[in-house]
Amino acid sequence: MTRRISKGRQRVEMVKMKNESNLQVTFSKRRAGLFKKASELCTLCGAEIAIVVFSPGDKVFSFGHPSVDTLVERFLGRDLPPPNNDVHNQLIVAHREAGIRELNTKLMNLEEVLQMEKHREESLQEIRRRANGQWWESPIEELNLFQLQHLKEALERLEQKVEKVAQQQKMVNNHAFPFHTLGSAWTPPNCARGSSSYGLNVGAPFANRAIGSTSSMVPNY
Amino acid sequence: MTRKKVKLAFITNDSARKATFKKRKKGLMKKVSELSTLCGIDACAIIYSPYDTSPEVWPNTMGAQRVLAEFKRMPEMEQSKKMVNQESFIRQRIAKASEQLKKQSKENREKEMTEVMYQGLTGKGLQNLNLGDLNDLGWVIDQNLKEVYKRIEAVKKGSSTSSVAAAAAAAMAAAATSQSVAPPMEQKPAVMELGLDPMQRTQTEWFTDWMNSNTSDQHIGYGHADEMILPNFNDNHNANVWPNNFYP
Repeated sequence: MTRRISKGRQRVEMVKMKNESNLQVTFSKRRAGLFKKASELCTLCGAEIAIVVFSPGDKVFSFGHPSVDTLVERFLGRDLPPPNNDVHNQLIVAHREAGIRELNTKLMNLEEVLQMEKHREESLQEIRRRANGQWWESPIEELNLFQLQHLKEALERLEQKVEKVAQQQKMVNNHAFPFHTLGSAWTPPNCARGSSSYGLNVGAPFANRAIGSTSSMVPNY
Repeated sequence: MTRKKVKLAFITNDSARKATFKKRKKGLMKKVSELSTLCGIDACAIIYSPYDTSPEVWPNTMGAQRVLAEFKRMPEMEQSKKMVNQESFIRQRIAKASEQLKKQSKENREKEMTEVMYQGLTGKGLQNLNLGDLNDLGWVIDQNLKEVYKRIEAVKKGSSTSSVAAAAAAAMAAAATSQSVAPPMEQKPAVMELGLDPMQRTQTEWFTDWMNSNTSDQHIGYGHADEMILPNFNDNHNANVWPNNFYP
């Protein structure tokens, strides 16, 4: 495997860090990483681990599986002999382990999706980079007054267009269902109810249908 | 470093499990040591395994006892505030990952819809968008409009640069020759001010006139985006939202 100098990784000298804020950041990250490794070791090999860490700010962080307190007591010799392995105990342990497995799976899936979204961000950035760059895509600060005002009008028109298209889409969706013309309380279950979910000020599907208007939608009973 | 990703489950193979335990335990101890040194803090680690009755300890038994004594001296609440077990630890990570995902998704959505908005400005139709898309698009347009309004106000108020002042002055002059219903400021703009090169400028002037006699909202419509206001020079010969055309 070739050694690459990746973006984040650098060799760090094993002495106390000089920079105060870097030190704090390093502590946070490494503490989290340490707990993660401990957690993995517990899952993979059935170990029981306790870690106690004091922060630069004199707060204390601790990780313990099954729990910090029981392990500390065990270590300090103040507790009863290690729990026996009767059935009851095994059930408890098995149940706990199953729960942890589930959580781990959930976490893994989340992290996978997060990775995908991060890649998506890169693609989007690439698209932006490759774009031809019309003048209106420049940062607003670079536009002069005329450009700004034209952009304003264009955006306003685009916004109107969007609303119109949205309205028409809603009509198309609703057309399949019979409904009353007077803004009735009854709405087909799977049709967009009102404007609350869409901020486009289009209004409830039937509220606009005043008496005597577009009758093409009136059902024939 | 491993080349294969290890599945996070109890290793059923005894020898593999033992080997993994040895390696990872060593790594863990190293990490605690590094954390302690780099950050100048006290720490201890205690590892009980099925392979040994006595635990492995970092830094050593005495050192660990000292740290634990210090730990126990703290008020109960301080001790438990940042205390986690496996379950709570993983839940924390899930919560954090969820937050990051939510944020990232939102940012991506915004970026995506901004691209759609830019395309909309070049006249591309809005046909392939569902209601959710349209909603988000509307939001993005609205955000941009707010910024434009703000910027216009700022520019009008404190014309700091001379070019902006010149632009404003030219607008006043041009207002006299306006012929369309749009607000006087916008009409027959000093096309120079748009920052286009000579060829673009000519085309723009041509279109400006054509446009002023041709504004029509009826053309905006479902499925008719293509026939909108103006022919273009480029490939995007679709619905134009510009009051005047600026295409290079």
